[in-house]
Amino acid sequence: MGFVESVRVRIAERKVPPADRALLRDLRRALAHDRVRFDAAERALFAHDASFDEGGVSGPICFPVSTAEVQALTRVAIDHGRAIVPRGAGTGLAGGAIPLGAPIVVSLMKMNRILEIDGDNRVAWVEPGVVNLDLSNQLRPLGYHFAPDPSSQQVCTIGGNVANNSGGPHCLAYGVTDAHIAALEVVLPSGEVAVFGEIGPDETGLDLRGAFVGSEGTLGIATKVAVRLTKNPPAVRTLLLAFSAMRDAAQTVSDIVAAGMVPAAMEVMDQKITNAAENFVGAGYPRDAAAILLAEVEGLEGGIAIDARRIEEIGQRNHATSVRRAETEEERALLWKGRKTAFGAVAQIKPDYYLHDTVVPRSSLAAVLEEIYAIAERHDLVVMNVFHAGDGNLHPLLIFDARVPGEIDRVHRAGDEIVRASLAAGGVLSGEHGIGVEKQGFMEELFSADDLEHQNRLRETFDPICRANPGKVMPIGHSCADIQALRSVPTGVWG
Amino acid sequence: MKAVSAGESLRLGIDPDALNKCVQCGLCLPHCPTFRATGDESFSPRGRIALMRAVQNDGAPITRDVERAFETCVQCRGCETNCPSQVPYGELIEPTREALAQRSRWRSRLFETLLGFLARPAWLRAGAGTAVALRRMGLVPRRLGVPENTADSNAPIPATGDDVFLFTGCIMDAWQRDVHDAATRVLSAAGVGVQATGDAAPCCGALHRHAGLSSTSETHAEHVIRALSTDDRPILVDSAGCGAAMKEYGQWLGTEEARAFSARVFDIHEWLSEQLDRLPRVEPLDVKLAVQDPCHLRHVQKVHLATRTALAPFVRELVELDDEGLCCGAGGIYFVLEPELAGTIRERKCGAIERAGADVVVSANPGCSMHLAAAGLEVCHPMQIIDRALAGRTG
Amino acid sequence: MSTNAPRLATDDPVLFAFAEEVGSDGAIAVAGGRTRWSQGGALAEGTRVVEAPRGVVEYKPAEMTVCVRAGTPVAELEAALGEAGQRSALPNRGGTVGGAIAVGENHVDRLGRGAIRDSVLQVRYVSAEGRLVASGGPVVKNVSGFNLPRLLTGSLGTFGLFAELILRTNPRPEVSRWLRGQGVDPAATFDGLLRAAAVLWDGESTWVHLEGHGVDVDEQSRALDRIGQFEPVEEPPPLPPESWSMSPAQAARVDREKTGDFVASIGVGRVWAQKPQPLAAPDPVVRGLCERAKAIFDPTGRLNPGRQP
Repeated sequence: MGFVESVRVRIAERKVPPADRALLRDLRRALAHDRVRFDAAERALFAHDASFDEGGVSGPICFPVSTAEVQALTRVAIDHGRAIVPRGAGTGLAGGAIPLGAPIVVSLMKMNRILEIDGDNRVAWVEPGVVNLDLSNQLRPLGYHFAPDPSSQQVCTIGGNVANNSGGPHCLAYGVTDAHIAALEVVLPSGEVAVFGEIGPDETGLDLRGAFVGSEGTLGIATKVAVRLTKNPPAVRTLLLAFSAMRDAAQTVSDIVAAGMVPAAMEVMDQKITNAAENFVGAGYPRDAAAILLAEVEGLEGGIAIDARRIEEIGQRNHATSVRRAETEEERALLWKGRKTAFGAVAQIKPDYYLHDTVVPRSSLAAVLEEIYAIAERHDLVVMNVFHAGDGNLHPLLIFDARVPGEIDRVHRAGDEIVRASLAAGGVLSGEHGIGVEKQGFMEELFSADDLEHQNRLRETFDPICRANPGKVMPIGHSCADIQALRSVPTGVWG
Repeated sequence: MKAVSAGESLRLGIDPDALNKCVQCGLCLPHCPTFRATGDESFSPRGRIALMRAVQNDGAPITRDVERAFETCVQCRGCETNCPSQVPYGELIEPTREALAQRSRWRSRLFETLLGFLARPAWLRAGAGTAVALRRMGLVPRRLGVPENTADSNAPIPATGDDVFLFTGCIMDAWQRDVHDAATRVLSAAGVGVQATGDAAPCCGALHRHAGLSSTSETHAEHVIRALSTDDRPILVDSAGCGAAMKEYGQWLGTEEARAFSARVFDIHEWLSEQLDRLPRVEPLDVKLAVQDPCHLRHVQKVHLATRTALAPFVRELVELDDEGLCCGAGGIYFVLEPELAGTIRERKCGAIERAGADVVVSANPGCSMHLAAAGLEVCHPMQIIDRALAGRTG
Repeated sequence: MSTNAPRLATDDPVLFAFAEEVGSDGAIAVAGGRTRWSQGGALAEGTRVVEAPRGVVEYKPAEMTVCVRAGTPVAELEAALGEAGQRSALPNRGGTVGGAIAVGENHVDRLGRGAIRDSVLQVRYVSAEGRLVASGGPVVKNVSGFNLPRLLTGSLGTFGLFAELILRTNPRPEVSRWLRGQGVDPAATFDGLLRAAAVLWDGESTWVHLEGHGVDVDEQSRALDRIGQFEPVEEPPPLPPESWSMSPAQAARVDREKTGDFVASIGVGRVWAQKPQPLAAPDPVVRGLCERAKAIFDPTGRLNPGRQP
């Protein structure tokens, strides 16, 4: 930043309260002038992620470029008694990265280098701001990919995947992010730097790495990540099965697993979301089907031919109205593009969405889905379902217009009922989006007081004073006793 | 809540329904060149839309940072084609830029004056000559992308018939006349009689539109429509930016006449790809060619595949870039106004071109060619490749 | 149908009886099959040793999950799973389910079965205070709350004593075949296969475990023939007693001088050897965290005293 520009910034910030001014000064010394921002409108931008959750307004926004800078800004935060909220691409769906109160927001987007690709050990060291799909694209010529493929993979970052223990369609066979992280370099809330895990047999010592993955930024900030590389399969077959009833699609999924197969992916979309996706991608999804199942098998040619045939047979036994095989790579890519952008397509119908993320036993899929449709109807709302059927991971998408008075209240009530229906079926609160602030209130319905107290012990081990992303995951009253105060800063304050 | 920080509030005048369409999912982020270059939320489509909402709906003040967020948008509209909810981003950013331009009177005057040259072909050619001279003397920074050569001649391109108009435009006519010459020869080889529009319709108004000077751009549009409405023959455009603008005249002006005019406008490759059987069969050039898609061809006109169809018979191999059509950073005069950011954006494009391992890069837009050439790349127009193949010369 | 009762709590009296037996004071440890009894150090003198409850509680083949009490022998679990054509990721070496997970050592088929820790979906354990605590969830995918199952897997019972676990199961492959090659490059063998269940190397011979569809196993066997001479064998080599960790690249060039006779798991980095691995000094920051964790989860240090994961 030039001198004139920095004077301009200083003038613009002349009304900043003295406490913040000292904080800004120290942060800018630790990083660089133009990588610590305090513009009101920009801070408001960082008050949101891709969910409907509301928090406070971000305090200073920092864009570190190295582990040393993350460490330095953490120490400044400690000196000034401020909280830190790490953030990647801001595609979270549970409010995990939104600021509560006015914490320092740490955007890791400028730490986006792939540091080393180590083919001998099948790992790559990357910085947290590397985009998930960029990593797999760069690995492709070497014959590898990073297996977790969240639907937002074209934009979400590895750091965000680590924070949320993200899943994705292909996690059915390969496992979620946790299974693909060998090691992590972490700046702890104390300002110390540590490496968890190893490039080895992953069974040595306490698994702090495993405890960190999925902790939603509450145990520190990962600054380097060693991801495991998965060999690209030589053959892939993608099938699109159409059904005239959701029940048949769900039963097909159960039957496939019961037949001893674990396909690479099994995804279901209902009619409404299929049509919205089709409007955008034109993949040739059957618009009249009540549900479509996208199933993919991969591996060696011989085995996948057998599996694909068995899946077709099981589909037909369950009254599939059509079965289509992707003949070319382009066709396959288009079928997946529709699935992976589906949730962003809803504004064609309504301008706002509320996306849930519960997991239920596979055998309960059909029953829980029926209940979800009934709940939405009771609340006079539109619900669309697009989900990782193989894992039983539901993503009911309630769509609405927040400008219509009372609609958001109905959405919240319906959402609560959907979560409770999933728990009643023996499910859990979240399969891959995390708890954030969205599902905190339900933690006590899944866990006992003792269970939560033990989870909080892990938090206390790393961060006794709740410096890192306070007010998330654990329900109110279980940790960070002052989080009520964190919520007190209203949004829409320009300055 | 009362504004307390510096900067005044501003009416953006965006259609509220269009503004409300974004669900903030973030799927646009990877397709935004400025977000890829900076990682800043405020330099992303989602961030810019959120800022527009803050300004329009909540009265947030236009601080320097907010202004930067809006003025750094290249307007490539890569976000628009990649938005699953089909948010009409162009309809959001254009009024925003217009409001910004009107806000600062000296700024809009400056733009008016600078862009005023575009409608004065003689001045432009003289200016181009001067710039080239200065460039040769090393007095103009290389990053501005001023070419080393101008067109050989200032004389109007002679007509070869009256089947089609070839829109020759402003900057391109002054600086890349050889592209028009090549296009004319290719069309003639297909037995198509060409009339170059020349000084009769000097400027399409696209650059004015991008700078937020809507009324000036509309004046240009009306001028072009009047000049070329003597009959209803097709109007071929070999500059993607001009073609995109002329296809949007219907929306700009909202008149039946303008809509009818826009329906006659074709990108030259789009039109030629349907007429390939009229061209003679020749030995393909022995080159590996990478096609760089101008954003206004890919994201606005959405006819970028026609470039490949038209080129395929004339080269040994066509290779694709692996960046999914991410903008190169040229953006009309963007690379002059935001040289640093445009340079960072271009680095990514150069990396993709290098990975593709091509001998030659083609771009169907003068701005992109100049911007990429300034980075030391050899860039041609697709028409020049076809022309060379037809002439039996090798690459 | 909705209730506010915590769903992961249990009403199984057997588990409560176990919690009561563990109690809230005095040094305590659980014995399984004692196959890794000395791992992590000798148990302190005078520690009361109890056994965890036994039995498969609920097996849902269609969900690919099984709920099993910690004292169940792995062999008994495998037999139950086998009836529905499935298996677990646990090594079956004569111990118990709880013991295997407390130790955290992977199956020799780590590549084929996945890591043991990835198969642990939910744990119920008795805390240092003698309370029954649950963490994780009963379904195959779950990010509800902090991941205590990862912290406890491999912690040698120093944070809590397993009472009951829910594990992910997987279908048994149609065909399983061990092959042995002489004088072939183990790293090239590993790289030449899409998915081996295991590739082992003792410095001379390379063993490969192929699993899956018959056609795929045949295809991979042919791929091996292109690498070197392989012949079918009944089983993998016996594994030496000591266990080393290293990077997969290092495991493909083990120095016998340092390890003695060895068997290296290629692509994994586990090496079984005659001599023990010299202990590297742990990172002080990591050690500090481990000590803090122990102090918070077990303030009196009564769980498995003397052992350190």
